[in-house]
Amino acid sequence: MISIALSMLFLPLLSAAVTLLFLRKNGNLASLLSVSTAGGILVLALVLIFSDNPVPLAWDTTWFAMGGWELRFGFLIDAPAKLLLFIVAFVGFLIHIFSLGYMADDPARPRYFGGLSIFMFSMLGITLADNLVMIFVFWELVGFSSYLLIAHYFKTDEATKASRKAFIVNRVGDFGFLIGIVLTYWTYGTLNLSELADLADFSPNLATTGLCLALACGFVVKSAQFPLHVWLPDAMAGPTPVSALIHAATMVAAGVYLLLRIDFLFTEEALGLIAFLGAAMGLYAGFCALVQRDVKKILAYSTLSQLGYMAAAFGLGAPGVALFHLTTHAFFKALMFLGSGSVIHACHHEQDIFNYGGLRKRMPITALTFLIGVLAISGVNFLSGYFSKDAILLWAYNFNMPIFVILYAGAILTSIYMFRLYFITFEGKARSKYAEDAKENSFLMTGPLLVLAVFSVFGGYQSLYPDQLGAYLGPDLSAVSLLPHHMWMIVLGTSAWIIGLLVAKTLFSKVLQDDPLARRFPAFYELCRSKLFFDEIYQIYLSKIQDPLARFIEVMELLFISGLMVRGAAGVAALFSMLAKLCYVGKIHAYAFWFILGTLGFLFYAAGLVGN
Amino acid sequence: MMLSVTPQHFLILSFLLVGIGFLGLLIRRNVLLMLMSLELMLNGINVALLTFSRVGGNLDGGIFVFFIMTVAAAEVAVGLALLVALYKKRNSVLSDDMGLLKN
Repeated sequence: MISIALSMLFLPLLSAAVTLLFLRKNGNLASLLSVSTAGGILVLALVLIFSDNPVPLAWDTTWFAMGGWELRFGFLIDAPAKLLLFIVAFVGFLIHIFSLGYMADDPARPRYFGGLSIFMFSMLGITLADNLVMIFVFWELVGFSSYLLIAHYFKTDEATKASRKAFIVNRVGDFGFLIGIVLTYWTYGTLNLSELADLADFSPNLATTGLCLALACGFVVKSAQFPLHVWLPDAMAGPTPVSALIHAATMVAAGVYLLLRIDFLFTEEALGLIAFLGAAMGLYAGFCALVQRDVKKILAYSTLSQLGYMAAAFGLGAPGVALFHLTTHAFFKALMFLGSGSVIHACHHEQDIFNYGGLRKRMPITALTFLIGVLAISGVNFLSGYFSKDAILLWAYNFNMPIFVILYAGAILTSIYMFRLYFITFEGKARSKYAEDAKENSFLMTGPLLVLAVFSVFGGYQSLYPDQLGAYLGPDLSAVSLLPHHMWMIVLGTSAWIIGLLVAKTLFSKVLQDDPLARRFPAFYELCRSKLFFDEIYQIYLSKIQDPLARFIEVMELLFISGLMVRGAAGVAALFSMLAKLCYVGKIHAYAFWFILGTLGFLFYAAGLVGN
Repeated sequence: MMLSVTPQHFLILSFLLVGIGFLGLLIRRNVLLMLMSLELMLNGINVALLTFSRVGGNLDGGIFVFFIMTVAAAEVAVGLALLVALYKKRNSVLSDDMGLLKN
């Protein structure tokens, strides 16, 4: 079994190496190799998930040793790992297939598919890792592959800036994560997850809020939560399948997964803070999404918002529910991103939704599957999002009223902006030439949409999950089903999406080139457009504090290191050489003179007249 | 009369010979004359060595003088040979024309 896990982990790395070393010129072969690798991962993952292993399956070996200290490399394949493994392998495979269609006319396909394979390798590493150092290493690797893939269209200024922003913001949070890992090692003396769990169980008072929050920095940045959320909307500059895979379904969800892996370390205060931040993010991102014009940015903000829901569920003590929402979200968000990719592909990379319109008749499969995604995320009854989101809402209703109110407002907003997106894109009349000429894409692109649509519909029925996948969700979901106020929650949840549908219908069913919200509520519109000035505040911080500091340090460096030490030493040597050169006049008389003078000097010295 | 010539006189003579040779070395531009000035300095030194030999009552200084004269003869032979070669090549024996090593 371990050999299966190992080969599954290293298969994509091998594929990426082969692609990037030998297949740089051969796009077809590179994409075939990458897609078959993804298929191989899926097969191996299914074997690994459904074989009769002891659960959890733990294995480790020495990675390297320094003195008496050694770093272990190991797998911990328990129930949540199996579920995430399935999501990564399955959604990843579908997105690889979609990429075949979406990237068909891209000249840099080898680079793209190589990057995807590196990403698969890193993401599988996070999923299987059994200690925090290993998680951190793969954590950085997903950050790196995300950087690579955001910068795929590196000839555009937007993509290069976005990739740098994503990379740098991730460094900030990962630094906190690293501090958290060091603190953990200091406190517990081990980084192995199972050993940590035992120790935390044995002596619960070892955990401190500071340690939890440092570790949670990793989650905050990777899942793009407040205050480090600024990178995710910009990351949409990458190719759309990448946004679907990395920035919606898997990598950003890895933050939540990290929390689940170390949930035993968390103190009440830390959990409360995470829950509150998550809920606030759920609402804030909703307002931002409401006024975006770029289809991918709407989906990006919606991802932020849904990640906020997961964080809130985790913070309120229901990690199983958080993972459940992660699962359903991976399906319907990947579905919607791929749907938007299908639209973007058909409309020649036009991304402004006000230039779409009327696409339902021209792209029926995309429109239908997209609608399923919209209904699922809005929480329409008996679709996947309904079960997972209402479980979170019900939990919050019973345990923390303020958070419930925030989340509920977020849920209404979600359905408003999602129906807005649907109405503006697919209903009404075509508002640009591209939208008029749009045609449904090939089966390579619609196939994954259909599969994901099926999962978005049925992903919410936890009882349909095989035991190997649903084991972790079971206890928390049973707890949810025992909570009071069920009927009341159904009424509230249903009214939330109906309100959203009606508001969106009145406001956005007939639009022209400009946003009706901007016309009717200009102040509100502008406030939402500003995204609460986070980018501007960071910009001010950068230009007023960090840049001057960097310049100051640069001057110090110029002055002391490169000036005084490097150039200074060279200068002393140069000075002596100049003095020596002065004697080199090219006249034999001068040399004779110096010679005699030197002889006299020695003479006087020997006679004791000078020196001594 | 002989007694009035003390070792000091010999040393002054030696000093004058070396000084004249040194000044000649510095002032003369003709390499031939510079070589002659060098010989003058060597002989001034020889005088000093012989004086010390006589004052000290041993032969150390005298032996040195023989060595110096031998070496000086050899040195002059080499020096003159170089000078002739130089003259053939550059048609001049003036030191001002020999500045190739400058810079």
